[in-house]
Amino acid sequence: MSKLNATDIQGFVLRGYNLPVARYLFLHFESASRARSLIARLLSHVTTGQRWDGSKPKSTVNIAFTQRGLVHLELPDATLLSFPVEFQQGMRHRSQILGDCGVNAPERWEAIWREDRVHAWLGINALTPEALDARCSALISAIEETGGATVLGSQDAAAVVIDGKPTTKEHFGYTDGFGNPDYLGVDRSSQPGQGKLMPNGSWAPLATGELLLGYADEAGELPVAPVPHLLASNGTFMVYRKLHQNVATFRGFLERQAAAYAGGKEKLAAKFIGRWQDGTPLELAPDNPDPSIAQDQNRSTNFTYGADAEGTRCPIGAHIRRVHPRDAFGFNGRLINRRRITRRGLPYGRFAADGDSVSDTEDRGVIFMALNASISRQFEFVQQQWVQYGNDSHLGNDKDPLMGNHGGHGRFVVQGDRNPANPPFICSHLPDFVELRGGDYFFLPSITALGMIAMGLVDPR
Amino acid sequence: MSNINGKVYAMNAITPMKPWKTWIVRGILFLLGHFKSLRQDVVDLSFIEFARWVVLPRRGFPFLGNGQERENLQYDYLLFFSNFNGTWNQYIDAFSAVLSKGLNLIWRWSEKFPGSVPVTNFKQYIALLQFDTDYYYSAYPNAAANDIESAHIVQSSLDQLAAMAERSSPQQFADAYLRFVLEVQCHLGATGDAPVAG
Amino acid sequence: MPNKNGSVYGLTILSPIINDDKATPSHDLQIRDYLAKLSTREDSPFAVAPGTHLARLVVLDDVIYVGMPACEEHLKSKYLIFESNCDGDLDGYLHGLADAIADHLDAIWKHCVGYPGAANRQAFVDYMKACQLNTTFYFAAVNDKSVEDTLRALQTQTAVADFIATHQGNDPATLQREFIQFATELRARPIPRPGSMGSLRDIKTGGHNE
Repeated sequence: MSKLNATDIQGFVLRGYNLPVARYLFLHFESASRARSLIARLLSHVTTGQRWDGSKPKSTVNIAFTQRGLVHLELPDATLLSFPVEFQQGMRHRSQILGDCGVNAPERWEAIWREDRVHAWLGINALTPEALDARCSALISAIEETGGATVLGSQDAAAVVIDGKPTTKEHFGYTDGFGNPDYLGVDRSSQPGQGKLMPNGSWAPLATGELLLGYADEAGELPVAPVPHLLASNGTFMVYRKLHQNVATFRGFLERQAAAYAGGKEKLAAKFIGRWQDGTPLELAPDNPDPSIAQDQNRSTNFTYGADAEGTRCPIGAHIRRVHPRDAFGFNGRLINRRRITRRGLPYGRFAADGDSVSDTEDRGVIFMALNASISRQFEFVQQQWVQYGNDSHLGNDKDPLMGNHGGHGRFVVQGDRNPANPPFICSHLPDFVELRGGDYFFLPSITALGMIAMGLVDPR
Repeated sequence: MSNINGKVYAMNAITPMKPWKTWIVRGILFLLGHFKSLRQDVVDLSFIEFARWVVLPRRGFPFLGNGQERENLQYDYLLFFSNFNGTWNQYIDAFSAVLSKGLNLIWRWSEKFPGSVPVTNFKQYIALLQFDTDYYYSAYPNAAANDIESAHIVQSSLDQLAAMAERSSPQQFADAYLRFVLEVQCHLGATGDAPVAG
Repeated sequence: MPNKNGSVYGLTILSPIINDDKATPSHDLQIRDYLAKLSTREDSPFAVAPGTHLARLVVLDDVIYVGMPACEEHLKSKYLIFESNCDGDLDGYLHGLADAIADHLDAIWKHCVGYPGAANRQAFVDYMKACQLNTTFYFAAVNDKSVEDTLRALQTQTAVADFIATHQGNDPATLQREFIQFATELRARPIPRPGSMGSLRDIKTGGHNE
């Protein structure tokens, strides 16, 4: 395959920056020509995928557009109409498909997301809050000087800091950040278990086209992409979802259920996700967390479910088993290779350690961002079929215990065995632990495409 | 008029075949019917409730007189009817990813079949020759094939437990009950609406 | 034998539709209209008549022109396809339909050539067999359970999940006593009506954009 030109791809796509603080600005365009001058100004800020020899930059900038944003930039109609249907509609109009109903319904979203006014996302990641503020000031100056956009709002996010050090923990207390896939040609530190499963049991990188437009994908073709090629190539689609977490409800529920569960609270919490709170996969260590596995890159994601068909180690409905079934559906994992997504994102809101008082009304949760070549085939499919539904795992209508929109009626079956510390157990009346507060679908163009947009040179052909 | 009823989708497809090729398809379908191993992949995919192929030779269209004109056709036709769970895209993606050889074997004899891989061309072909259902009934629309298979397992295990429940001691029953729960623990998914249904 | 798979029968009926220029609307459109208004739920004719797992009715307008170099050709009539997956044997099933839903059968098939009406059972059965196509290959995921067996099992599955969930941690004596009561009650419960366990699909989504 052709070598990737990292200078043409936005860095945000190719790797997680591991910078602990972030701010996302949401822009609205009025005049197309002023918006284009703004983008031309911002080009010098946008971080590419080029490797950082030496030290990390203090801050990074990336940009993405909604369909309405591209309309306001006055891209040609033929180009606009060639974007995938789900992107053209926007996430709010896909709510039926995504199961965004009940507490997740668009009527309950934050105002900024309820009205289809967000045209662009500006993502700034930084090493320190000071660097973040400095970079944001520079960007705001550019915005004001060009008059290219109004800032509708912003969202801060930051890695959870424990004992002075940034961690990959999220608000329910789980260690996150294991699941990102490997792609051919994408240069990042990778570990066994992140790619696709080969017949001989080894792991290989996924086809580049599962992430980036313009490259062969797992189906042996170029993914469906907008025209012209130059606009789409080296770009990708991003799903942005602000997920509020009801930590008080979660802790209360876990406490009450664990009272009846012989395996104990820590184990029950692990059964929900499929990993102990320190990240040890249940599949490799079903009885106790094991830091030697959790911290070993060669082991922490290197497992399959073939030997656990009954779900007695990792429950069949556990979160990580649902969103990355590995070999659980047979056929050497071929049914899941086109359903992988790359996650970026950070928690937001004040972290409350176990034992600290906490309330569901406090603003905290995770900014979930998924990158994929096809929103409908990848993110939407996983959300619709594997998170809000369970048929592929033979679990009927049962939903993901943590992410499902249970409405108080959910059920989660923890499969067990004859070991008294691992009994079969059913959690009932699951409430909504997570609530969607808004979001949308974005197109993350290549550097070349950004230049074309800035100069008004997009020509469908 | 809808192709969808609850969790099940009714797909209808018709493809033309040059008559000399029809015999090959009949042969392949005959083998498929008689050798279970050839069908195993379809069984493992587990999202098809019922499916059938019907070879309709050009002179095989029913003729009932009474003013009906006799058909005068060059091609034989292959009819395909499927009752499957999941979305249209999911269904075709899965077959293309996993059963492309089998699909090719049956459909390569149909005119202008592009191959089941890569999937985009294949989907375009299916969109061309799929025709829509006017009326679709299911006795159990809120149950997918997997739900039904699980339900039968639960029923069978329950019957066995119920048969011995009265004549055992509480402790014997408790042991048997644990065994029962372990047998059914992967089969307790709720039934209900399909994902995009209102 | 092809039409059968275990205890389920794959019935494929292809009925020529009357071709009459003077009918307004044409017969195929009248069939379509009737079917569009017919319930697909527990008051569906196929729920009322026994033995149908899944069934569909489809008007076949014409064969498909797939494009050059294939030849273009057309059917002289339209056809009504009836694809049914049912229990039992063919004669029993057809008689069951004629007994239970003769009005619906007549309303639909009166638009088809040579249809004698359901009142004359033998003529009706002969007509259906004259229109029957041989199902060349028939796949059934479950081929040994009747419609009633399936509805009962689905009811059981829900009830069992609830029982297990609400009896966790019970002592053996209580568990046994409650289970026996549960099993007895469940056995006596009437099975759900066919077609009754779905809800109305008012959202029009699906197709190629998901």
